[in-house]
Amino acid sequence: MTRPDQASPLALEMRDLVKDFAGVRALDHANLRVGRGTVHGLIGQNGAGKSTLIKLLAGIHAPDAGTIAVEGAVQSRLTPHRAEELGIHFIHQDRLLVPTFTVAESLFLGAEPRRFGLPWLNGGAMRRRAATILRETFGVDLPAGALVGELSAAQQQLVQISRALLNRPTILVFDEPTAALVRREVDSLFGVIGRLRAQGITIVYISHYLHEIGEICDAVTVMRNGADVGTVHPRTTPAADLVSMMVARDIHDMFPRRHRTAGPPVLSVTGLRAAGAFENVSLTVRRGEIVGMTGLVGSGAKDVLRCLFGLQRPDAGRIEIEGARIGGRSPSAAVAGGLALVPEDRRGHGVALSLSVRENTTIASLDRFARGPLIDRAAERSEVDRLIRDLAIKTPGREAAVRNLSGGNQQKVVLAKWLSRQSNLYLLDEPTVGVDVGAKVEIYRLIDELAGKGAGILVLSADLLELLGLCDRILVMYRGRIVHDGPAAATDSDTLLMHATGAGAVVHA
Amino acid sequence: MSSRYALVAALVAVFAFFSVATTTFLTPGNLESILVNNFALLAIVSLGMTLAIAAGGIDLSVGTAIDIASLIFVSAVAAHVAMPLAVLGGLAGGLLVGAFNAGLIAGLRITPFLATLGTLFIGQSVQQLSTSGGQPIYLITGHVPPVFAFIGHGTVLGIPFAMIVVGGCAAIFATILGRSLFGRRVEALGAQPGVAWYSGLRVSRDTAWVYLLGSLVCAIAGILLSCTVRAYVPLSGNAYLLNAIGATFLGTTFSRVGRPNVAGTLLGVLLLNIVANGLLLIGWNFYWQQVGSGVLIFLVLVVSFGGGRARSTRAA
Amino acid sequence: MPDTVQSHIALPVDVAVPRSRAADTARTLVRAGSLLAFVAVFAAFAAAAPGFLSAGNLANVVGQSAVIGVLALGMTLVVVAGGNDVVRGGIDLSVANNLGLCAAVYATGLGAGWGDGAALAATALAGLLVGAVNAVSVVWLGILPLLATLAAMNVCAGLELVLTHNTVVAASSPLLDVLSGEYPAGVPVLGEVLLGVAALLAVVLHLTPAGLRLYAVGGHREAARAAGLPVASYVAASYLGSGLCAAVASVLSVALLSGSTTGSGDMLLAAVVTALLGVVFSRRLVATIPGTLLSALFIGILINGFQLLNISSYWVNGVQGVLILLVVAATSMLRPNAG
Repeated sequence: MTRPDQASPLALEMRDLVKDFAGVRALDHANLRVGRGTVHGLIGQNGAGKSTLIKLLAGIHAPDAGTIAVEGAVQSRLTPHRAEELGIHFIHQDRLLVPTFTVAESLFLGAEPRRFGLPWLNGGAMRRRAATILRETFGVDLPAGALVGELSAAQQQLVQISRALLNRPTILVFDEPTAALVRREVDSLFGVIGRLRAQGITIVYISHYLHEIGEICDAVTVMRNGADVGTVHPRTTPAADLVSMMVARDIHDMFPRRHRTAGPPVLSVTGLRAAGAFENVSLTVRRGEIVGMTGLVGSGAKDVLRCLFGLQRPDAGRIEIEGARIGGRSPSAAVAGGLALVPEDRRGHGVALSLSVRENTTIASLDRFARGPLIDRAAERSEVDRLIRDLAIKTPGREAAVRNLSGGNQQKVVLAKWLSRQSNLYLLDEPTVGVDVGAKVEIYRLIDELAGKGAGILVLSADLLELLGLCDRILVMYRGRIVHDGPAAATDSDTLLMHATGAGAVVHA
Repeated sequence: MSSRYALVAALVAVFAFFSVATTTFLTPGNLESILVNNFALLAIVSLGMTLAIAAGGIDLSVGTAIDIASLIFVSAVAAHVAMPLAVLGGLAGGLLVGAFNAGLIAGLRITPFLATLGTLFIGQSVQQLSTSGGQPIYLITGHVPPVFAFIGHGTVLGIPFAMIVVGGCAAIFATILGRSLFGRRVEALGAQPGVAWYSGLRVSRDTAWVYLLGSLVCAIAGILLSCTVRAYVPLSGNAYLLNAIGATFLGTTFSRVGRPNVAGTLLGVLLLNIVANGLLLIGWNFYWQQVGSGVLIFLVLVVSFGGGRARSTRAA
Repeated sequence: MPDTVQSHIALPVDVAVPRSRAADTARTLVRAGSLLAFVAVFAAFAAAAPGFLSAGNLANVVGQSAVIGVLALGMTLVVVAGGNDVVRGGIDLSVANNLGLCAAVYATGLGAGWGDGAALAATALAGLLVGAVNAVSVVWLGILPLLATLAAMNVCAGLELVLTHNTVVAASSPLLDVLSGEYPAGVPVLGEVLLGVAALLAVVLHLTPAGLRLYAVGGHREAARAAGLPVASYVAASYLGSGLCAAVASVLSVALLSGSTTGSGDMLLAAVVTALLGVVFSRRLVATIPGTLLSALFIGILINGFQLLNISSYWVNGVQGVLILLVVAATSMLRPNAG
């Protein structure tokens, strides 16, 4: 490991930053030193503190301790407005664009070209300049008159990036910009980044993808558990070293592994097909078994989960729970059949933020507390109290609105909802997204306990380490088919990735 | 939260004020008149509105259900149909409106505001076409059955019949919303429809029931109204729409968590009625009285939303 | 070296899948379909009703649509700035009663011997004041637009009654003579005012940066904020604009009826429907000024055609109701998703 050359003057220096959220330490003396005119990578697992660090830089949160210096000047009170004045711009993952606007309008909103300096929109100039910018920066012919709502995620991302470039930034922070891009678009993005560096713009580049870091970064800072664990030169540092820096040796301690014996099948799927999404999917989940499933978006893994829970209508195939066929017609039929879903969009589908912990917990199992058409409130209260205790949900009380709970505890409420229902099969869709490390460990423990008590569990996750640590068996989908199905103990992330990206198909052919 | 009691405080304040400011306000005759002539119908209609708003929707067609029920009921009575049948016919007519809404909202997934707005417009045409442009149907005093007078103005053990109906409906709705499985599902639906759907609730069925129940109470109100005025007056139900919305939202301030609730709605209706009556008694004419109640609603909203806003910014 | 780097920790989250053009086509069909329906209704009346196509009759339709049209244009501003969600988004329930109040102010002002100038100024002030109250309650007090404007509506209704004592206040003035006349002969001035107001608002809303930003505020509030726009001011301005439109419409109404009139509140739902129906005439399925104008004229043509064909005007409401349901059912399926 060689230290990258730090001789160039620093555009950004973040020193000894500490930030606590509700008693949880998100940043623990983190440092980031970015040389002017360099492309600086920032990597780390979910929950390592990358996004908190970036939010401090954006002025969204203030640090509890530590300093941030931009071009050598310490910024004691950084606000979003001040950050913008300093020329710091962000390209976020979530796209802040008006769906009913054209591409040109989206690019120039707030700085529209005018006619003769009058408050008179110059629509023609706007369209022409937009087309030019898109062609020159990305080499794409995105029609400037197309509506944003009709664009693909990748195209919307391009619009967002172009918009930031119009502001002539001095420091540009990319927060996983390629998550939604295909290879050709990634290449043109890297071309843009190269040109921006040549113009002297400093770039902070956050990514999950190590090969991207190696391709474009001059230096990379690795974060773990809220602190920086090292800044290295990506081109001379083997990827394996980066990985071991990111993943503390104790990563395996995050996953409880109790000895379990798988029982009879609780879920068996045969020949399931949804046109355009996946073909001939057959799988089994047994009692006491944790099965992982993964695949790129578009692989069909998500669609399988949606079909199982009745959110999407399959065209053919059988879904059986405990030997009884369920229709796959609606979530209510799936739930009646003993299925539970912990959805990825927690706030839209998992918990109702304005309802209390009690109301959220029993919403799927009200029939259990029925006394005629009414609710037996004493029984409800005692069940909710029991679940709060069992799951160690941190809440001011059972009547507190779920809005007031942390992401991890909200996720526990979703689990409690299905535990109260005493479901047989749990479908977990990205169960630890947006959850801090501490809560993650607890959620892993709960999942393990559930399986220990005989429930079947199917986890859909893009986090391969999570799957490897948590699951007994892992399925990989690629282009609508299951291309790998094997015990977790007999595989590793390289193999899984190979299958997920289609490289494994050659081996099997 | 102090804002929770803004509604009660306002109610106590106006009650006390009018009791002192006028000699006529605090008389049994006047109080009964407030309850029977003003409170009863609006209260019943507002119950249905409370349920719809609790479910995250709204019902702009309450007037249509009132009118259609009244139209069928009065036409039946005028045609010498037996009273129970006439009542059933009226209720069925109201339910028809609810079923139409339910089909649009639960079936075709049209947003409640626009669906019920469409129903309202169609209902206006139906009434105009069936009454040659809005001719009222009057029932001649000698030709109505005696039970008519009882429904309109009778008492049981000294309690006006209309108030018994209000009490019954309110008790049922309060139980539905506060205690029942269905009510809990409705709350979930209103709080976050996506969660209700992903929790396996049968969202369409519950939504349909919300609008059916709402139209049923409106039909009851329509029949009461017909008995009181001994007539069907086309398009008279719309008068209750905006007050019912206002009362329901005033009522949400009474809930600790800011949700629509039956007790709060009734308090809201009472506040609107007392202010209207009291202002009249202290010599404000009908016109200023309108201004007065508008301003009052506004003030209660300011107090409660002001509190709500402060709460949410603190939480953020 | 980069080629050997294979150890990803996580999988890519998304791969770009180009969206089908089907939605785009369907949207075009809806728009073309509604324009076609407009033309078809027009053609049917032209064929069946003698005199429908005469210049005088058509000019009359425009003139008779003036009051509701201007009112709906004001509503359009609020809908644009508030977004399409009717309950949480922008709506101004006070427009119709604001019109009633303004008409009362204008008529009583003239009756008290004020000149046109003073009476007009007072009317505009009244309309703007109501708009300002709405703006303050929605933007700064954070009251739901539906409720805030509902309260304002009640106050307006009361104040109107206070001024008019629930009677028709007759009014006449040189301005009213001009407005209720025809210039040039056969063309109602009221109709010209409607077209003028629509043209003015169309320029502001569709040809200036401010208009574009108003759409951004309504379309995606967070995006507008991220673009540094003063969101609150834009929303407030939309309510002021709506109040001013109500004032203008009130003067037209006084001209049409030769005085203030009771029952202006009945126009509220018609104004809401007109503004919402207009959505189908825009490519993006949003409220626009030309769309609202077209939909006001469409309803005017329906009423007029029914009259000429001796079809009961009682059908008009029902047809409007069915139309709004059709429009909503069609657009809700086709609206582009949020980015």
